[in-house]
Amino acid sequence: MSGVPRASETAMPDTAAKTDQIPVTVLTGYLGAGKTTLLNRILTEQHGRKYAVVINEFGELGVDNDLVVDSDEEVFEMNNGCICCTVRGDLIRIVGGLMKRPGRFDGIIIETTGLANPAPVAQTFFVDETVRTRTRLDAIVTVVDAKNLPARLADSHEAADQIAFADVIVLNKTDLASAEELAEVERRVREINPFATIHRATRGDVPVTALLDQGAFDLERVLAHTPDFLDDDAHEHNEDVASMSFEVTRPIDPERFNAWIGALLAAEGQNLLRTKGILAYPGEDRRFAFQAVHMMADGDFVGPWKEGAPRHSRIVFIGRNLNRPQLRRGFESCQVKE
Amino acid sequence: MSQAASADHLLETRGVQRTLGAFVVAAAFDRTGTAAFALGDGSLQLLHGSEWRSVAAHDGAVLALTADPAGPGFVSGGDDGRLMRTARDGTVAEIARFGMKWVEHVAGFADGKSAVLACAVGKQVHLFDGAGVALKTLAHPSTVSGLAFDARGKRIAASHYNGASLWFVASKSDNPRLLEWKGSHTAIAISPDGDSVVTAMQENALHGWRLSDGQHMRMSGYPGKTRSLSFTRSGKWLATSGAESIVLWPFTGGGPMGKAPTELAGAAEVICTAVACHPQMEAVAAGFADGVVLVADIASGRLLPVAGPGRGPVSALGWSADGARLAFGTETGFAAVVDFSRT
Ligand SMILES: [Zn+2]
Ligand SMILES: [Zn+2]
Repeated sequence: MSGVPRASETAMPDTAAKTDQIPVTVLTGYLGAGKTTLLNRILTEQHGRKYAVVINEFGELGVDNDLVVDSDEEVFEMNNGCICCTVRGDLIRIVGGLMKRPGRFDGIIIETTGLANPAPVAQTFFVDETVRTRTRLDAIVTVVDAKNLPARLADSHEAADQIAFADVIVLNKTDLASAEELAEVERRVREINPFATIHRATRGDVPVTALLDQGAFDLERVLAHTPDFLDDDAHEHNEDVASMSFEVTRPIDPERFNAWIGALLAAEGQNLLRTKGILAYPGEDRRFAFQAVHMMADGDFVGPWKEGAPRHSRIVFIGRNLNRPQLRRGFESCQVKE
Repeated sequence: MSQAASADHLLETRGVQRTLGAFVVAAAFDRTGTAAFALGDGSLQLLHGSEWRSVAAHDGAVLALTADPAGPGFVSGGDDGRLMRTARDGTVAEIARFGMKWVEHVAGFADGKSAVLACAVGKQVHLFDGAGVALKTLAHPSTVSGLAFDARGKRIAASHYNGASLWFVASKSDNPRLLEWKGSHTAIAISPDGDSVVTAMQENALHGWRLSDGQHMRMSGYPGKTRSLSFTRSGKWLATSGAESIVLWPFTGGGPMGKAPTELAGAAEVICTAVACHPQMEAVAAGFADGVVLVADIASGRLLPVAGPGRGPVSALGWSADGARLAFGTETGFAAVVDFSRT
């Protein structure tokens, strides 16, 4: 088909400034982990604020001020034929509908079903122009059953995926687990995802301020907290979700990086759950922030490098079957020539 | 005369305008020529002559609007899960309620003898007769994203994930003709001859099916999503939004395959957000993200400016049945009706 309506690549003009974007919190968690209890806490504690809450099963929600939207989770494949390139079609529709209402919501909270893979929700924020201009993904909050997590990790991929995607993890029902069990569960969680903030709770009793308005999908914050033990090569798992981080000292050549990361995501995107990077480009005073969910990637300049601090570029991968030497060599080869 | 003044000339000399303060979701005329604007605050704003009337039709946002196929007035769907009928005098009556699910699309068809009304609620399309009596429910594999009757009211098409379903309205056996194409389809139109069904897709493209021979049609290259698509009265052109011009695909001589579209009213970096073909002539009204509204004559390419920029992205357009008047509205709540008839 020859029809190219227009040669220009210009997209929709930004009708909403960044500050006008409504924060979206995604609440995930395996069946029985205590997700609905936590959601109820959030809604009853937020007096005077107005949320739109997207749910699948209409439970007993304490909603005076809030709008509840009942939605069937509809995961749509994009028509590139790739199984990991999926979006939540229902969210695209719902966000479009919510934007027609007057008066702003203070936020949108999306509760996913227990078995949901969080990737389609996150990818929706990369793909749809209305969703990405009008809202921003504030944080993915995952509720974990402290007692039963080891069993869940053993019998499902989804439990690990939900932890891998989390910015905030609520380790719930801690009263039912021993101190040793708790320590082991935290260790397992950290192994999958070293970046998330962990809060211990018994009945979802986490302050709402620790869950909403986190700006956690914000790369700067995440990478500022990158723990150093990530560079430890001691643990190598294959089918398990793991994370790896690499740092280089010379500036990154944008063309080389784009070529490398493009080829890597195309080849390994199904195994790469999340990729985040802060890059130093030659002669550029601002940091370039890169992020991807599976194959869907996005990048933009964020604030300037700190005065006097070393301009080291850093990239983090969370995924399955990660090949450490190959990833390290690849990232190193993106540096400008000495 | 300055540029800006001339762009607003028709609006100022032949228009009735108002700032309504809420997102204008849709605009339509009923059979008597009353205009209605459906708003994000749940109201319908009726305009009869130069007299406005505000009607509280929904508790929430209005999501869809059509002229009442059964008589004067309008039918609307909202995120309150209700399908409502609003008379010209502002009387509101509930046709149906569907609980938590949004009523996202409505469509009506009327000829001299009968009227049919359809609404989409989640995965289902509900059909009603003119009196509002439920006729039947059509089930789809995923949420319905668009609805269109054919020109004779015999069939209704619904777009959804992985294609569209085409149903005979009067059929006793409820099996649709499935038009399949992988991906998320988000809006739908049927050509006046009933032979082409075209959908808009999530991936900034259109997909079409020619029913007589099963030919697929793929129209791509849009910088944005097509939200609005409309066939001209003759069916020779399909006008679409989603690019920095009005994109018109030729549907004559074998269809759009292998042909370049005609582009009118190109404006660098300003996306066309709404189109509505004239009910009588080969002309199309278009609205843009900067608020510009114009009417384009397709054969000559001549443009008639209706409103200049600055009143918000155009979100609604509708012609009166005789084509003498155009209603338009914007995301920021501006609404107007412009009268083109000779005085
Ligand atoms: Zn993919
Ligand atoms: Zn280990």
